[in-house]
Amino acid sequence: MTAVLPGATAPRRRPVTRVARLAVRQGLAEQRTFWRSAEYALFTFALPVALLLLIGSTTAGGFLPHTHVKAQMIFVPSMMAFGVVVAAYVNLGTKLATLRHDGVLKRIRTTPIPAGAYLSGVLGSTAATTAAITAATGALGWLAFGAVPRVAGIGELAGGLALGAACFGSLGLVLSTLARSAESASPIANASYLPLAIMSGIFDPAFSVPHWLSVIVGLFPVRPLAQILQQGYTPVQHVPLEDPVVLAAWTVAGVFLAVWRFRWT
Amino acid sequence: MTVLETRPAPETPETPATPSAPAAIEVRDLTMSYGDRSVLTGVTFEVRRGEVFCLLGPNGAGKTTTVEILEGFRRRSGGTVRVLGMDPGAQPAVLRERLGIVLQECGFPRQAKVAELIGMWRDYYPSPRPVDELLSVVELHSHRDVQVRKLSGGQRRRLDLALALAGDPDLVFLDEPTTGFDPESRRRCWAAIENLRALGKTIVLTTHYLDEAERLADRLALLRDGEIRVCGPVREVARQAGVPTTITFTYPQRIIPALPAPGCLSLRVEDGVATCRVKNAATALRELFTWASACRLGDLEDLSVTHPTLEDAYLQLVSGGAGQ
Repeated sequence: MTAVLPGATAPRRRPVTRVARLAVRQGLAEQRTFWRSAEYALFTFALPVALLLLIGSTTAGGFLPHTHVKAQMIFVPSMMAFGVVVAAYVNLGTKLATLRHDGVLKRIRTTPIPAGAYLSGVLGSTAATTAAITAATGALGWLAFGAVPRVAGIGELAGGLALGAACFGSLGLVLSTLARSAESASPIANASYLPLAIMSGIFDPAFSVPHWLSVIVGLFPVRPLAQILQQGYTPVQHVPLEDPVVLAAWTVAGVFLAVWRFRWT
Repeated sequence: MTVLETRPAPETPETPATPSAPAAIEVRDLTMSYGDRSVLTGVTFEVRRGEVFCLLGPNGAGKTTTVEILEGFRRRSGGTVRVLGMDPGAQPAVLRERLGIVLQECGFPRQAKVAELIGMWRDYYPSPRPVDELLSVVELHSHRDVQVRKLSGGQRRRLDLALALAGDPDLVFLDEPTTGFDPESRRRCWAAIENLRALGKTIVLTTHYLDEAERLADRLALLRDGEIRVCGPVREVARQAGVPTTITFTYPQRIIPALPAPGCLSLRVEDGVATCRVKNAATALRELFTWASACRLGDLEDLSVTHPTLEDAYLQLVSGGAGQ
């Protein structure tokens, strides 16, 4: 049983450049199909943008209680955080659950594309969508409510978006493994992030919760992300060190769970 | 139907098939169980290079499990498996470069367009076939810019085949490729498969359609309850299965009662037609003619010899004759 066909033994080199090239092409293909499905792309954008305009029109212009901070300087970055959650967590998780349910992932597995190249392409495409959504939210926040990031806060804004996309992207991978079917992915996604987003004050800049609940909410990644992005707009709220630490911890946990639980079939 | 052109051999010239050339697939004592439930109990067969090999059997016989082990999708419980000289259980990427796999039910990225998807698949392989050629083989040229979700079932199945062929594989697995096809689509798919055989590709086909196996397969194995009941060239399978040959003729009006037909023929007469079912047709015919001339019955009218078909063998092995 040691007989080997000609050419089968020669170890093929699998250069990093090939993986990178395949990842880029996969990412571009994912983007092409995302924008082609107009209704999908539209509603992915519509949720954060519509909420920004609707809620913003009632709260913008006012000040937060007992401060000189304009509400939109908190509200607009909060909606950017919401956009990150929708694009990286909800969309990626439901998309992968659907691809697995439809057998697309299994079909990919029949080909020699390295798993890393395929998943990098999918994640890269998700990152691009996330960037587009947060950019649209930020631009609209500026046009409609005059909320402009402060120059000194660009670091927090960029770093927060990158860390947030990584964190919720890895959690999106975990979400796709939790959902047993494509149908259950969406309810699981909504049930997991929506209560957290409300408790984190994403939809209401003046929202406050009891201290014990605030401690619990602070352990989950939504409010830490929102607070880091708010720092990019107004320096009034200090960024406690635990915010990036919480995000990083969830990212690491998400990556571990995703690697452990991810299945092609 | 466009014919794929044979290409010059790649950098490693394939040695011509010699008696010592290794088989494309070797399976020895393959077993598979899920918990206590045993799905495959000692399956052994070999697929030669360049042949169409068919795994035939009723639903639940273990066809797909066997094929998925060969494809590297399932880990076997025991036995030896070599596919193109490699162990598929180790999931070597080099093996996947040389395989084309049509899975039983498998979705597409719905918004992708036909040619675009084939293009993506070509990127995955080191020496792919040209897009136009692939489109021609599966007759989807006029649909190249159509989104996959708008294709009919038969068109999707042909796209399955095009994707499986994108990497110019040496070995193609087709798991029930024509299930749910209309007759016209089946014929097209069969033509594409015969086309592949002409190129020297090795093809492993699972099906529960007997006509499909009879038409396409060089050799076949019949699986039932997780074991191979019979394996060999299509023509020999029925004989191996022990299905008798049927001889019929019109029973002559005047038979001398003193000269009944030889008992070894176990002749049965119904509505004036005599039928005997025998293992060895030549011996039986000799006996029959000796008897006929001794009784001066002349030529036996409407004499016909019917060889057992694949269907007879299948029915005997699958429905009735367990333990033959």
